[in-house]
Amino acid sequence: MNVSRHLCVFRHHNVSKNIYKKFRSSSINYQSTQSAQPRVVDEKFDFEDLKVLERAERRKAKIRPFMKDIFVSVYNKDLLAYPEILNKEESEALDARIDVLDKTFSDPEKSKDDRSRVLKGTRMYGAPAPLTNNGLASNSTELIRYLEIISTDINLGLEISDHWVGLEILKKGLLDEHYQQIITDVTSGEHSIVLAIKEKIAERITQADFRTTAELDGQNVWRITGEKICNKTNGYFLVLCCIEGSRLRAYLVHPGADGVSYKDGVVEFKKTTATPLSEISEQALAQTLGLSRLHAATLCRTTLKRAMHSCVEYVQPRVFSGKPLSELSTIRATIGEALLNVYAAESAEYFTAGLIDGYLEPDAELEMAMCRNFIANNGLATMLKLLNIPALEKAEECERLLNDMRHLATYGENLDSVNMFIALNGIHHAGKMMSEEIKQIRNPVLHPGFLFKKALANRKQEKDDPTLDLFLAEHLHPSLRPPAEQLEYCVLRIKYACETLMSRHGMKVATAYTELSRLAEATTEILVMSAVLARASRAYCIGLRNAELEMKLAASFVSKTKDKVRKLILEIDDGEYLNLDHFKISFGKKVLETNSVIVEKPTARVFW
Amino acid sequence: MATRILRNMLNRNPSILLKRWKNSDRDVTVYDPFQKLEKNKEAYLEVIKIFEGRDKRRRGHVEFIYAALARMKEFGVQKDLEVYKALVDVLPKGKFIPTNIFQAEFMHYPKQQQCAVDLLEQMEDNGVMPDTEMEQMLLNIFGRRGIPLRKYWRMMYWMPKFKNLSPWYLPEQLPNDTLELAKLAIERITSVDPGTKIVIWQTEEIEASIDKTWIVSAQSEAQKVLLAEQPVDDPLIVKGPYTVYLRDQTVTYFLLIGKTRPEFKDDTDPDDVSNIEKPPGIPGFIGSTKLPATKCTVHEQDDGTIVSVCATGTSSRDSLLSWIRLLEQNGNPSLSSTPVIFTLIAPPNDITLHEPQQTTEDTNSEKQLGTN
Repeated sequence: MNVSRHLCVFRHHNVSKNIYKKFRSSSINYQSTQSAQPRVVDEKFDFEDLKVLERAERRKAKIRPFMKDIFVSVYNKDLLAYPEILNKEESEALDARIDVLDKTFSDPEKSKDDRSRVLKGTRMYGAPAPLTNNGLASNSTELIRYLEIISTDINLGLEISDHWVGLEILKKGLLDEHYQQIITDVTSGEHSIVLAIKEKIAERITQADFRTTAELDGQNVWRITGEKICNKTNGYFLVLCCIEGSRLRAYLVHPGADGVSYKDGVVEFKKTTATPLSEISEQALAQTLGLSRLHAATLCRTTLKRAMHSCVEYVQPRVFSGKPLSELSTIRATIGEALLNVYAAESAEYFTAGLIDGYLEPDAELEMAMCRNFIANNGLATMLKLLNIPALEKAEECERLLNDMRHLATYGENLDSVNMFIALNGIHHAGKMMSEEIKQIRNPVLHPGFLFKKALANRKQEKDDPTLDLFLAEHLHPSLRPPAEQLEYCVLRIKYACETLMSRHGMKVATAYTELSRLAEATTEILVMSAVLARASRAYCIGLRNAELEMKLAASFVSKTKDKVRKLILEIDDGEYLNLDHFKISFGKKVLETNSVIVEKPTARVFW
Repeated sequence: MATRILRNMLNRNPSILLKRWKNSDRDVTVYDPFQKLEKNKEAYLEVIKIFEGRDKRRRGHVEFIYAALARMKEFGVQKDLEVYKALVDVLPKGKFIPTNIFQAEFMHYPKQQQCAVDLLEQMEDNGVMPDTEMEQMLLNIFGRRGIPLRKYWRMMYWMPKFKNLSPWYLPEQLPNDTLELAKLAIERITSVDPGTKIVIWQTEEIEASIDKTWIVSAQSEAQKVLLAEQPVDDPLIVKGPYTVYLRDQTVTYFLLIGKTRPEFKDDTDPDDVSNIEKPPGIPGFIGSTKLPATKCTVHEQDDGTIVSVCATGTSSRDSLLSWIRLLEQNGNPSLSSTPVIFTLIAPPNDITLHEPQQTTEDTNSEKQLGTN
């Protein structure tokens, strides 16, 4: 018996291996790479001055940029393990601080002064500063947690978010000795740092888009001149200026500096003396400032959450036709959808914070922009639906919530520019990797063989049915297989969409704005889907409370979003005539030219 | 035999019937009721009424209609639907409606039908759209198998389609005042840039001006900037006169033209996507810190940058000179130091826009001179 079994197995050994290879239905694809393993970086001790003990960071080795790679359908499966950044001690310290903050911020009786006092007391104004400078050395994950609590007061939330980003830039931009001189004053909370970047759109064709300049005067002092859109009147201003014609550099203007005037939301600098932050490169500056996008996302999400709570408070005590109002399925569905969005946005934010905190030299600028894009895009729509429920009876509160949301969704920059940033960065990355192919696709007569091969390779993509060969399901809980496959479908379609776009427009793809914004939206959804799946899988595996609900949330979010992504990519594939862009653009052009609705009234006649 | 008959038929003049009508036309229109009248719409309608009342049988109505059609322009009613309807009303009702298939097939009362078709044709040529009342009148006269009805229906298919096809809207009745007409013309020309502002100046504002007239000048903010950036030593050119048609009216206009910035040269390979430009990614920072130094506005054409457009009351050199001075006073100070060349293609007298007020004033002043 045994002998025969042995023989059988031996005989079909190769066959089974072949089948095995062909169908690849096993977890053989699971490769746990060395790079993904946790690596402990030694704690830094400065032995010359033993009083200096900095917070140890446990970062893993550098990884390739996650979302940029998605544009060429390369998926880093290690990231499907949701990041866990904080260890036990850190987590406890965080919770303790959160408790203190929460006591003041959740109490509506407390005044603004009380709240600022607590912020100062908990050293929030120095949160990202090093421990040795009386800061907390908080990482992004912790900052988001704090911000969630602080955002009960939106203005304080915005202020402190700007302040934290400003602190990061100071740390990187100033020489150490200068930094030490200034840091105690900055972290005291007396004057917060205000980001002054955005400028008014030019009104004449002779005006450049960006006009604030910094120049060295005779005494070797930098003086800046220009206007910035900014709601704060005092504090440290972190001003972005252009120098030598084209380069960008940030400058710090101290409180009470000469030549600063404020009028109608615009701060004007006239030959104001400023400290240059010359140590930070333009790219690093962009990456650090990008953190403000992550914070804006958190603020948006908490506003949406507040609207949800307010809605529930309204619904709970009320009745309709003798039954509780909460039994109406439409109300339940609306609140459920809001929960889905809050859950998804929260997952994406902590996921992104994990990317920033968990790896060396993180490149997460796209992810941060995507977090913001997602919640700004969905948040306003969901908010409107939510506020539809108590709209008539709580008009004032609705108005306030909606206005907060609108303010946050467009804070610092609008949705379009975030979208363009995401798409252009992605397509830049994809272009680098696919340039050879695109060149051949765009010159088909010179490469007939390639064309044939490409047609064969793309035949499943053209049928909207790509071969799922990423096996994402193997990295998640088995019951998440269907949503994992839906995510995989979306990921695989992105490369095809990029290829279509680039082969259609060539270098001019950078100006195909309507299609790029679709691409940006689609990839944003992919980040959020990944984060949601990873979070739900982790929660279920470690047995968090209500984890089964998380699984359902994740599955329904992914299946809802997959359709959205599918549609976006099909629209990219269809081109401007089928997706109606061409026509919408021409309508818009006409309206912009005439500033009227153009069409005649339906009662108008040509003859009688 | 058969071939002979065929040859006979071919040799015969095919339009013999038409010829006969024409002859009869001439014979009958000896008496012209439209002569010696004040030429306006009321008189015209009055004549039609007189004709209708004169004879119960309305003898000679076809000839009357042809005569009336020929005189329309004289009375200035060629664009008036009411007049055409009054003319159609001259035809007797019911008599021309065919009563059997032979009549219907072989053109019952051909002369009358042809007359009605000619009337409709004239309406079409003048762009007058008939209305449903006219259809009813024609139905009552010729019945629904009549050729004029077919003509009417075809007209009503096409004319509404063409009526509003022009992207530049004009009012139904063009203004008689040349200044208003010039304003419409300049508005049409400058519709390429929605930011264009149209102003009307009087040359009296310039003391040295000889021609006292008006100037319709148009310039957008972008054009002001383009003018300010023109090199001071290169002369600007006043070109014209050019003609623009507003329906059947014409307006002459002039352009002030400067140098065009160099064309944007793009040497990059459009197929090489290996380095697509990406934004710096600083939140809130959009655009660039520099301005393009190449051709990028609609005003920069191949033959030069159009920095302003105008039409003047007299289209004379002097009025154009006043225009340049007025431009200089109104936000284009750089014109004081830039030389301007006038290259007018035709002598300005030939293209003068006729302004009635101006001419009466002129004749008055001449009279005064004469008496002195």
